Amino acid sequence: MSAHVRLEGVDKAFPARRGGGVEQVLQDLSLEIRPGELVALVGASGCGKTTILNLLAGLERPDAGRVVVEGEDEGGAARAPRLGVVFQQPRLLDWATVRDNVALAARSAGLGADGVDDALRDVGLGDHLDAFPTTLSGGQRQRVAIARAFIVDPDLVLLDEPFSALDELTARRLRLQLQRLWLDGSRTGVLVTHNPQEAAFLADRILVLGRRPAEIVEEHVVRARRPRSPEDDEVFRLHASIVAGLA
Amino acid sequence: MSTRPTASAGASFPVRRPAGSGRSPRPGRRGIAPETILGPLLLVGLVVGGWHVMASTSDSTLLPGLGEIGDAIGRIVGDGAASTLWVTVVRVLLGFTLAFVAAIAAGLLMARSRWARAILEPAVLIGLTVPGLVWALLAVIWFGLAQTGPVLAVALSAAPPLVLNVYQGAKAVDPGLIEMAHVFRFDRRTRLTRLWLPALVPFLLSGARLGLSLSWKVIVLVEMFGASEGVGYELNTAFSDQDVAAVLAWTIVFGVVMVLIEYGILRTVERRVTRWRKAAIV
Repeated sequence: MSAHVRLEGVDKAFPARRGGGVEQVLQDLSLEIRPGELVALVGASGCGKTTILNLLAGLERPDAGRVVVEGEDEGGAARAPRLGVVFQQPRLLDWATVRDNVALAARSAGLGADGVDDALRDVGLGDHLDAFPTTLSGGQRQRVAIARAFIVDPDLVLLDEPFSALDELTARRLRLQLQRLWLDGSRTGVLVTHNPQEAAFLADRILVLGRRPAEIVEEHVVRARRPRSPEDDEVFRLHASIVAGLA
Repeated sequence: MSTRPTASAGASFPVRRPAGSGRSPRPGRRGIAPETILGPLLLVGLVVGGWHVMASTSDSTLLPGLGEIGDAIGRIVGDGAASTLWVTVVRVLLGFTLAFVAAIAAGLLMARSRWARAILEPAVLIGLTVPGLVWALLAVIWFGLAQTGPVLAVALSAAPPLVLNVYQGAKAVDPGLIEMAHVFRFDRRTRLTRLWLPALVPFLLSGARLGLSLSWKVIVLVEMFGASEGVGYELNTAFSDQDVAAVLAWTIVFGVVMVLIEYGILRTVERRVTRWRKAAIV
């Protein structure tokens, strides 16, 4: 159902683009995300947000420290965690139909494809089930990616700037849809975003990261209940506070 | 372990669709452009007309007239050209299939492993430079003129360009898709059949065309070296008889088979597996 996430003293460095040295992106970083919590990571470009997400997704390994993602079923028993990821770009198989793109993820998670059509209808793509992704707009493609992330019944949902490539109107509509998918509070999530207002609208907790190597310089708890509105006072207040902290 | 399909379990909610959105456009059947038919017909007309002018003005036995060539075609078709062609086509298809499967494995391995690339890349480059004649000779010397020799000669000549194409195609696959397959835990078979192979299709088709064209050349050489059947054997017999009309007749019949394979198989496969490309982008 949901995952318990811990980063314990994590170091991560990459070869420097110039000079032949290394760039230390993370150094002795520790953080905890409790089951059912949606945490937003906010910070300047290149501060290490996506590296944290890649470590959680298993796409990178830490140089030192531990990354722990523990899954938990409805009875509270431990299980291997299932991941749902929404990337910055939708990363769809252009040669597979919209339905197939989502069904492949469902089958790979051992869930069968029974809920695929409903999942796509839930994100407003009921009329596009047999379409190829190349026929869809950017917003529609990202909705396919959201349906794919949620069809796998994820313990942990990772969202890597999922709306940054979209126009603001489409992004706003998708944020509302994402919030609806989060209403039952049954899964853990990490949202990487540049957008403080998006973080305040969607997250339970916001971690503001400083410059490299990344460290948590601010932490904000969002107390507003869901469903929220992007115009809620607390969302505005937090937005202003985060921007002031980043400035 | 929960088996709840999450998204379907969540409450459905109304969604405003973007203005103007409705059912997705599907690729429709487009009319055939006139040049698609008229172009090849024009080429055939020019070649036949040019040949007719040359043959009728030279009065040489080395340039048989259209009537003679037509008679030769009729004769070889009447004498069972189909079975002769079948022998050659089967050898090519077996050799090409062997090369195709090996090339996919080797090309993907080269793209995914630096060691495999370091070992196989020189072999592929050398393979590309070896003349088809050499493969034909070696295959006949080592494996004789039963089925194994011709099939291996075809496979050895077709494999290098195919491997190179698969390797280049695999390198061009979006790394983001590979990461996506990893996080959604696609199994090995799903990755191969739903990610790698569809992504490689354009490269496989261009490799297949190049590989097949080399295969036809090599198989004719192998059959000319002493086979007792096949198009190469028939061409050798016609050459020994100084029967230019029969050489040209076999060449034309062979060419027709090539065209049928190109338009009947390769283009049909290409249309089917790349139909998503023809869909309009919003």
